[in-house]
Amino acid sequence: MTAAASPPAPAAGAAPPIVTTRGLGKVYAGVTALADVDLVVPRGAVYGLVGPNGAGKTTLLSILVGLRQATSGSVDLAVGPERVALVPDTPSFEPWLTAREVVALARSLVGLAPSAEAVSSALRLTRLADAADRACGGFSRGMLQRLGLAAAMVGEPTLLVLDEPAAALDPAGRRDVLDLVADLRGRTTVLFSSHILADVQQVCDTIGILRGGRLLFQGPTRDLLAGKAAPAFTVRLRQPLDGVVAALEAAHWVHVVERDGLDRLRVTVASVDLAESELVRTLADAGARVVGIAPAEVDLEHVFLELTG
Amino acid sequence: MSLWRLEWLRLLRTRSWIALAAVFLFFGLLGPITARYMEQILQRFAGEVSVILPPPTPASGLEQYLGNVMQIGLLVVLAVAAGALAFDQPVERAAFYRSRVRRVGRLLAPRVAVVTLATIAAFVVGTLGAWYETVVLLGDLPAGAMLLGMLLTSLYLAFAVAVTAAAASFVRTPLAIVPIAAGVLIAVPLLGLLGALRDWLPSVLLGSLVGLVVGVPPVEYLRPALVTLGAAAGLLWLAAARLERREL
Repeated sequence: MTAAASPPAPAAGAAPPIVTTRGLGKVYAGVTALADVDLVVPRGAVYGLVGPNGAGKTTLLSILVGLRQATSGSVDLAVGPERVALVPDTPSFEPWLTAREVVALARSLVGLAPSAEAVSSALRLTRLADAADRACGGFSRGMLQRLGLAAAMVGEPTLLVLDEPAAALDPAGRRDVLDLVADLRGRTTVLFSSHILADVQQVCDTIGILRGGRLLFQGPTRDLLAGKAAPAFTVRLRQPLDGVVAALEAAHWVHVVERDGLDRLRVTVASVDLAESELVRTLADAGARVVGIAPAEVDLEHVFLELTG
Repeated sequence: MSLWRLEWLRLLRTRSWIALAAVFLFFGLLGPITARYMEQILQRFAGEVSVILPPPTPASGLEQYLGNVMQIGLLVVLAVAAGALAFDQPVERAAFYRSRVRRVGRLLAPRVAVVTLATIAAFVVGTLGAWYETVVLLGDLPAGAMLLGMLLTSLYLAFAVAVTAAAASFVRTPLAIVPIAAGVLIAVPLLGLLGALRDWLPSVLLGSLVGLVVGVPPVEYLRPALVTLGAAAGLLWLAAARLERREL
């Protein structure tokens, strides 16, 4: 399913999108990095831009924040550039500056009045208060990522652009970043790229799927999960499973049977109706010792693979 | 924390100021001593051959100082300037500045100004050292000529920083910027081989300190000073225009 995404029209009375691109294209030395991208980021949304490596995510974000120029098309930002903050995937700062100085500098660069309280608050928010007066040259990658977030937050951005914000973080750090992003919902528009689909599913209300420089889908995450994924059931069984798998694979209404651990199968089916009437009977005929059956939660990873596979 | 304070901190915390001050002061103190005792130094290595040199003059103390400092010292200036002006490297650090500052001139101005002022300060310190030692060892130097010569040589040093800024708009890393800037500064005097240009080149200012001390009329340096000023301004404009368009 690779139908080109068309920009959703804003609802009557809704605020205009904060980012709109039309026919955006970028070509590097004859290689197309982006082609005809019509991105629409609703104001106040947490927009997840997902795609495999080389899909054009970083190029797209770089064009939006003015670091690169599009070869074709247009970008319409509903806010001034000083209200847009970018956190790259591996933030880097002058190694001889302290964390506090980096954040103070970031605030000054966007033209806001100096505020020790705002700087301290951004450092606290990103759990860097204890390291505030240490030179950031000695920071771990995760700390630099959080410092990048602090430097972005202190500028009170209207649009926060995060390029793979959790890629370098340990599980606790990742949790913090996701919580932070979720907290921003409604106050700051967040556009973030990621290849960690579980993160995107968890915090994003709007999603765009990019592959080969083309936007394959964009819209509310719930629409994507509801409309694009084939129905599936999770079946938990006592071992052995081999005979049961063979029986299910032979059924005409079963698309795919995937093993999920030692005692679990994910059965993707042609239709929910058929599965509901046939699944239990097929399992019984195969002599399966069933522990439980439940509709499989639709996850973004499966939808993503269907769209990009 | 403004961009001006950032550059001041860069100078202090990367110890660049020590490198600049040390090289100028070292040669400032060494030059007049070398000039004063050149005959004795050469005699030690000459063995049975007798070395006879003309008696050293105050100008020869300055000549020794400038001869060294405008080679090794200038290389240090280029390295320090390249370190500050290579602001598109690494890309992630550049993104921090470039995504927040729309006009590249806002980034360029403090970097050029602070490096230039630090270079001139180091040169003044070195020259004052050379002046003092020359007076002690070789004789008096005319104050007016010295001050004007320092001003004109400072103008050349500002030109060298501007050349570095322009080089930084063509390549990104300090290791690439320094040889390009050095190459341009070496090539400029070669233009003097075309007779008509000889008296107009910025490199003429390198000889202004000694020239003024030995009595060359100041007006002789007016044309190269104006050319240097114009060239430095043009190079900075070129750097800003190219950096403005450069993508990360």
